[in-house]
Amino acid sequence: MTHPSELISAYLDGELTPAERTTLLHHLAACGRCTSDLEQIQRVRSAVRSLPLLELPEGIVPEADRVVVPLRHQKGLWAGVAAAVVVAVIAVAALITPEPGSVSIDDLNSRFGARASLDPAFGPAKVVPPFVGSE
Amino acid sequence: MESIPLTWEEVARVYGRKIYNFAYRLTGNPDDAHDLVQEVLLRVRRGLADYRPGSFEGWLWRITRNAFLDDVRRKKRRPTSPLPDEVDRWDRATSESADSEYARISLGDDIQKALLELPVDFREAVVLCDVVGLSYQEIAHAVAVPIGTVRSRIHRGRSMLRELLT
Repeated sequence: MTHPSELISAYLDGELTPAERTTLLHHLAACGRCTSDLEQIQRVRSAVRSLPLLELPEGIVPEADRVVVPLRHQKGLWAGVAAAVVVAVIAVAALITPEPGSVSIDDLNSRFGARASLDPAFGPAKVVPPFVGSE
Repeated sequence: MESIPLTWEEVARVYGRKIYNFAYRLTGNPDDAHDLVQEVLLRVRRGLADYRPGSFEGWLWRITRNAFLDDVRRKKRRPTSPLPDEVDRWDRATSESADSEYARISLGDDIQKALLELPVDFREAVVLCDVVGLSYQEIAHAVAVPIGTVRSRIHRGRSMLRELLT
């Protein structure tokens, strides 16, 4: 007699085709050995399934706890940050930019002249010699 | 643009516990399980950008078992002996069984110990089926083997457990 042992687990898991199920059930009706196997495998299956489901230890996903904004919203976040920066720059520029028509040459001289005296970047322009290739 | 079903934080929140239980039952060691969960989440984080809609769970469990197998391979190259506290744990589990709660845990320990005796392929199939609760089709997808192989591995794994537990 051929014993369809490998069908036993699949039967317990509800993974047999109707034809396989019929074959196994007919066999079990006539085979004490396979019926005993079925009972034992069922006990093993129940034992493994009864293992306690363990809690996820705290701190196992530390970054997930820290990150507030979900990843898929980060594009929106960066767009928001960029927009805020643009607004801030415009606001600052508006504060420091005099009214149109009120800028005089003297104003410019006093503003940038003063800076030029402090900032070496505003020093006399260097004369860059034309490139002479090595000969 | 195709949307990503979950962020990695959501994957951690929704599947973290399942991944931890899978990892713990396969490794039998909380520290290894801890490391494995972090490795899986790292891989999920990196891989989500390339994920294309399909079987998300199949994708996730494939990543998880690949991370586990990589760990097994790494440990094979650098074998280590069990730490003293692990040995003590097994000794305690077999020598003290008066308290009923302890007996329950001890029974779990016996099953856990038997699981660790199984070849990796059988252990993985049994854990994915009985601990994680995947169908044979889902396991076949995760492990990349035919469904008949899954059926055979689960049955042979359970048969070996029966021998080990009697």
